[in-house]
Amino acid sequence: MAEDRTIPLAVEEAGFAPAEIEAPAGTRVRLEVTNRTPAAIEFESFELNRERVIQPGQTAAVYVSGLGPGRYEFFDDFHQQRRGALLVR
Amino acid sequence: MLETLLIAWRESLEAALVVGVLLTYLARSGQRSGVAYVWAGSLLAILAALACGLVSNDAASRLDPDLQELVQASILFLAVAVLTWMILWMHRNAAGLGGELRRKADQALVTGRLMGLAAIAFVAVFREGLETVLFLWGVLVQHPDLTALPFVAAGLAGAALAVATAWLFFRGFRFLSLPRFFRVTGVLLLLVAAGLLVSGVNKLIGLGYLSPIVAQVWSTAWLLRDDSPLGTFLAALVGYRSRPSLAELLAFVTYVPLMLWALRRVDASRRPAERASARSAA
Repeated sequence: MAEDRTIPLAVEEAGFAPAEIEAPAGTRVRLEVTNRTPAAIEFESFELNRERVIQPGQTAAVYVSGLGPGRYEFFDDFHQQRRGALLVR
Repeated sequence: MLETLLIAWRESLEAALVVGVLLTYLARSGQRSGVAYVWAGSLLAILAALACGLVSNDAASRLDPDLQELVQASILFLAVAVLTWMILWMHRNAAGLGGELRRKADQALVTGRLMGLAAIAFVAVFREGLETVLFLWGVLVQHPDLTALPFVAAGLAGAALAVATAWLFFRGFRFLSLPRFFRVTGVLLLLVAAGLLVSGVNKLIGLGYLSPIVAQVWSTAWLLRDDSPLGTFLAALVGYRSRPSLAELLAFVTYVPLMLWALRRVDASRRPAERASARSAA
């Protein structure tokens, strides 16, 4: 397996920043999700099979690996207008 | 506001269902001494969730988020161990509860088992309760005046709705005959335990400690979406997920047959004893 790829991902009032991130297929991706809002968020994705509650100001590591090419959507379960996607190529 | 209600419903549903199955089982099997312990565990968990939720808003007192997640995973595995033990003794107990014997006075439960019941209720309620508290606290932060009140009311209504959902679901169980009731609750508890085990494995994968082996073995999202009402209900009850990894499936297909085998062994060892007790009762 190729080495880990770390991708920073911020949650802001307006939404995920950046809203779309990319990774090559087959890598193990370490998403570093930072909550930059004053309220707790829940990073969630049915397509990535992940969920994490993250408190204000905190950064959580969320690993995803072995993904085939495709578009994997994620959202903030506590504020569902915030949406983003991981593009695996 | 409807979104607040739905989120609180979803977050509270798993806790309500786990507590519901325990209370239903204890009431029907006449073990009322356990009921108080389940309630005590649940209430203590609500208080603990409130305390932790409020304390953790003070930045200095926060644990590292990845460490928190690891602690949660460990608690899940511990809960699976306690629940496994309880499923086995409940199954053993159910044998002595057929027909006339059931009508006897409440069966006294030994302290260890009572504590086990309280612990399961505590873990189920604390886990979901903490998320609900953090979510509602966030709602308060975003509406720092009286406009927050309807949202908090919606959140509490959502939690109440989760309790109502569980109550309605388990009300249906009263129509089952006693042997079927024990079989159904037994299988349900087994699936709840398997669901908690899979959640723990999922957390370890998300933390990078465990490989998913294969990230997505299949997708049943076309059949049952995770965010549909039934998908949400099954996720809360038995840990349904539409795109499981191979590691999660392996945990499930190891645990469930092992438990079925263990329960069958209980049945086998019980039969001679059952006959003996039936003779002495006659």
